[in-house]
Amino acid sequence: MSHYSSFKFMMEPRSVAVVGASDNPKKVGHIILQNFIDMGYAGKIYPVNINSTGRIAGLKSYKSLRDIGESVDFVVIAVPAEVVPSVLDDCGAAKSKSVVVVSGGFAEVGSVELQRQLADKAKKYGFALLGPNCLGVMNMRNHVNTMFLPLYKFDSPKLGGVSFASQSGAVGSTVLDMVSNEGFGIAKFISYGNAVDLDEVDILDYLAHDPDTRVIIFYLEGVKRGREFLEAAKRTTKVKPVVVIKGGMSPAGASAVRSHTASLAGSYQAYEAAFRQSGIVQADSLDDLLDYAKIFETEPLSKGPSVAVITNGGGAGVLATDSIYDNRLVMPELEKETAATLRKAMPPIVNIRLPLDMAGDADDKRFEAALNAIGGDPNVDMIITIALFQTPGADSAVAASIINYKAGITKPLVVVSSGGSYTQAHRRMMESSNVPVYSSPEQAARALAALYKYSKTRGAIRKTK
Amino acid sequence: MEGRSGLMDYMDAYRLVSSYGIRTVPGRYVGSADEAVRFASGKPIVMKALSPKALHKSKSGLVALGVDGKEEIGRAFSSLRRKAERYRPYKLLAQQMVPFSEDNVEIIVGGNEDAQFGKMVLLGLGGIYVEAFRDFSLRICPITREDAESMIDDLKSGHVMAKDERSRRMIVDLLLRASKMLTENSGVRELDLNPVILHGDTYSAVDLRILR
Repeated sequence: MSHYSSFKFMMEPRSVAVVGASDNPKKVGHIILQNFIDMGYAGKIYPVNINSTGRIAGLKSYKSLRDIGESVDFVVIAVPAEVVPSVLDDCGAAKSKSVVVVSGGFAEVGSVELQRQLADKAKKYGFALLGPNCLGVMNMRNHVNTMFLPLYKFDSPKLGGVSFASQSGAVGSTVLDMVSNEGFGIAKFISYGNAVDLDEVDILDYLAHDPDTRVIIFYLEGVKRGREFLEAAKRTTKVKPVVVIKGGMSPAGASAVRSHTASLAGSYQAYEAAFRQSGIVQADSLDDLLDYAKIFETEPLSKGPSVAVITNGGGAGVLATDSIYDNRLVMPELEKETAATLRKAMPPIVNIRLPLDMAGDADDKRFEAALNAIGGDPNVDMIITIALFQTPGADSAVAASIINYKAGITKPLVVVSSGGSYTQAHRRMMESSNVPVYSSPEQAARALAALYKYSKTRGAIRKTK
Repeated sequence: MEGRSGLMDYMDAYRLVSSYGIRTVPGRYVGSADEAVRFASGKPIVMKALSPKALHKSKSGLVALGVDGKEEIGRAFSSLRRKAERYRPYKLLAQQMVPFSEDNVEIIVGGNEDAQFGKMVLLGLGGIYVEAFRDFSLRICPITREDAESMIDDLKSGHVMAKDERSRRMIVDLLLRASKMLTENSGVRELDLNPVILHGDTYSAVDLRILR
């Protein structure tokens, strides 16, 4: 946890300086400063601009960090690339504790030498540097936010336990905007760009130790320190789930004059191996990333691969069964006692077997009886409840019965519900009560498979032999 | 036999791999048909022409399987020499033959070096399966016993190769030894044990290749 305190200065600063702050609304430095003010950040804010005439955005402003007369916890630098090295000298002189360089114009456009100066100065002065070419950080708890996106363009996610790190700023802001429509919330966001100093390994170590973070999701294109990343990931997945989406598929060994092994095992495969070996759950798409974040945020670990399906629509139950097996999960047999209980509770038209199709007129009583009986069955490890709100029997009482049941259960449970505005209203009702809801049986099964995979990593699976 | 591709001499590779307790079939270079006959001592053998210029021996017709008796060995010897002429320099290798059985299972165990993560070990079902179906599993070295177990479980063909507990233990043991060899020899960049034949209560790597 070498850089834990560096990130703490960024995420929980008592004072912030924005270098490049401006009254010109088109400047990045203006947006960042204004966001700190508008979001209600409670610490001290120092606008810094070489052309300062004394006040920016109504606050006392400074020509240089050296004029502030206090060592600032967190310096946000948003000035043209060629000026950044001299601002870092100011940070050194003013004993700044942590620095993010949001400015672009470094290695990503070929200015490798300029970028090297940044790394050298961070080392020389001994402060931690995030970036350059990034959005910086966001802490949902205290309104620290260095993202230079006007607030009206961007729906802010809710506060929650999922922390998100992204090499790419664009993927980062897109995912956060998408998350704002999801049932789960965000704790911390870190966009780290070219990673001259702080990199994937430091970020994993920080988030592993951060008490606000329960789930880590990561967009990465590559890592700089492969071995250390592997070790950091092994440590992290012992305490909380890490979901990674890897951008950039490298073609495997192009040359024909190589071994069989080399032609199969290329760089992308090496990443997959590292993820697999360290207990990281790999997502294949941004949709998977969000679906997995959602299940990890609310659900406990699973004790096995057996999934029961309860449904008020027969076809959806069949699709769910297919998806369960497609994802290398299984559907169990019910215990005799469970079957007997269900037989008494269900009308004669209902066949007592999994998937349990309770018919279209199933109401809250039927849902409740099914959940209680099947949830208590020792053969069942996880539950998919399909609640189609278009059916005659389903209404708010059904949603309420699922929410009530969920509050008392220790097995993972997800709901599948899709449809128009009536369904959406019930979806929100359930999601705001920590019930993960998916639009399709396929998504639900994939998410459960991810949960099961991670449960194995954590050694939560009961022994069968 | 030092080629541009960095192919390690077969017998050097054989000795290196054997020193890690990986079972290979006994073999030796032969300079004449008579030497091969003496090596065979009455049993069928395999003969191969080895050249750094011909990495795919069977595709180039440089392998003769189940060669039995003085006459067959003599014919195979001259035929291999003729075919190998265009791949000079080459050497002729005679190897003992693994007894054929319907129950034999071929697997591939390999090694590669990644710029970011270093040495990796690979497992797949042998023959055409690993390439045609891309059904293989890969781990960063060094691996643990659990890693080796999960390498088998991750394969679609896992139950085909580990058809009983004994096969499973053998594969796990082989993977751990291959990982150790790869880890301890920084000069070994790539490894192919392809195929490794699981036969009876043992296994044998019948072909091996190391790239430096």
